[in-house]
Amino acid sequence: MDITAGLTQAEQRELEQRLNKRQVKEFMNLFGNLVDNCFTACVDDFTSKALSGRENGCISRCVLKSMTTQTRLSERFAELNQAMTNELQNKK
Amino acid sequence: MSLFGFGARQPTSAEKIASVENELKVIAEMHTRMVKICSLKCIDKTYREGELSKGEAVCLDRCSAKFFEAHSKISDQLQQQTAAQGGGGFGGM
Repeated sequence: MDITAGLTQAEQRELEQRLNKRQVKEFMNLFGNLVDNCFTACVDDFTSKALSGRENGCISRCVLKSMTTQTRLSERFAELNQAMTNELQNKK
Repeated sequence: MSLFGFGARQPTSAEKIASVENELKVIAEMHTRMVKICSLKCIDKTYREGELSKGEAVCLDRCSAKFFEAHSKISDQLQQQTAAQGGGGFGGM
């Protein structure tokens, strides 16, 4: 069911522009959270001002795992959201 | 879908766009919250590996399913309770 169905072409374009802006903002948020998260989880040794090998490795793994998690949950979300929408449609 | 009752007059262009945008925003926020909470509940914070373990993957799947179920349940219950109190309620989230 398309929620943009009531909109004209021009309105849809406007909506698309706004959504793109929103997506950029969301990506910046994602990035920020990733830094905060991985830094907090991995870096705790301040005897040096350079990241140690261990910390570097941890950060790499943290980023990889976080992105994989994000992807997987996005897939699940889309499925579940679709199912929930269908259920609501059927109830009406 | 819902235009939140604009009344007798036609909604303006801006109102229509804002309404759809809002709906998508609500969904996007739910997505963000779900990712945050399920990561917290399922992901090992020591990051010993870059790959998701089988256990973590299964945990994420189940967590997201339960999250949606909890969302629906709470939505229903909240509606019932506010209706019982004689209020209007949100009319379907």
